[in-house]
Amino acid sequence: MKYAESLEMLVRMGPILFGVGFLAPLIAQSVDALGWQAPFGLPSIAFGLVVGTMLGLLARYRGSWV
Amino acid sequence: MSIGEGDLAEVSGAGMRAERAVAQRYLRRVPWEMVAWGLGNCLLWLSLWPLVFGGILPLWLGFLLATLSAILGYLPSHEAQHSIIGAEGTRWRWLNELVGHASLLPLAFPYRLAWITHRQHHAHTNHPDLDPDISNRGETWLRSAYRALRARQPGEGHCYARTIRESQHPKRDQALVESFVMQVLHFGVLTSAAWSGYAIEACLLWWLPKHLGLVYIQLFLSWAPHYPMVETGRYRDTRVWTCPFGTIASMGMEYHLVHHLYPKIPLFDTPKAFRAMEGLLLAEGIRDERSQQP
Repeated sequence: MKYAESLEMLVRMGPILFGVGFLAPLIAQSVDALGWQAPFGLPSIAFGLVVGTMLGLLARYRGSWV
Repeated sequence: MSIGEGDLAEVSGAGMRAERAVAQRYLRRVPWEMVAWGLGNCLLWLSLWPLVFGGILPLWLGFLLATLSAILGYLPSHEAQHSIIGAEGTRWRWLNELVGHASLLPLAFPYRLAWITHRQHHAHTNHPDLDPDISNRGETWLRSAYRALRARQPGEGHCYARTIRESQHPKRDQALVESFVMQVLHFGVLTSAAWSGYAIEACLLWWLPKHLGLVYIQLFLSWAPHYPMVETGRYRDTRVWTCPFGTIASMGMEYHLVHHLYPKIPLFDTPKAFRAMEGLLLAEGIRDERSQQP
């Protein structure tokens, strides 16, 4: 059953892990690729981490990305 | 459970015996075309990574090919889920399992989980509580796609998760281990690539194609052939229909009824098998909706 529990924990924590681990660098690299400037003079990766983590927390809290 | 040989044992009566005799002509063939399709598609998808990362293939083309690869990834595994390539204890069993696992890689979908939940789908097709694919139900294709998307959200308690949790299948624990490994592999590759400076590439080669592929598969392989996903029963849970985009675009799902009646008939033989037993099936009262559009 440990795999069932691990899988459930992974799913529960999934949105936050996804937000920090994948969305943050994706947002940062998209900002750079589009030639945009992150607000408040933030480095793009810091902006990505803020937005990615917030989206992940929101999805975790709401139980949904959409 | 209406799977393969079990199905043949269920049939009774002259009509069914005649139907079974026709079906027998299409059983027990190793579908080598599906082996080539499954392994070739997986290799194509794997090759996209070095080609795109090395700048040989433009990312937009890599994305299109990865999406096509994800769409094409399910059906070879589906043949393996029914042990059509090699049954347990036979010479080609290892190949059956290899195709089953490898072809689902572009979809980042665990084979054993698909195997167990798909058998539940066959056993309880369209049942509101017991069919794990019931989350694809919808009045329109757009509604179905949205419901399927909603069902995949982390807090929704997906029907597949419930099915595997409640399953008494002897390979349930193995399915859970494989699901865990697949999730870790998918997430590990995405994050490793992303933090190495390839987030957009990882997104367009795996994450987005996986989701687009799942939408296509849920619509064409689940929603359309079972629409409106209400009726149950051997001849009523699946319809014969005409895909407005053609048989190839539907990936042969116009004849999905034959698969539900005789799951061990290879995909490429289902149109031939349907034509051979069409009269018998019409007499049984199948849902012939070829003149209607979904």
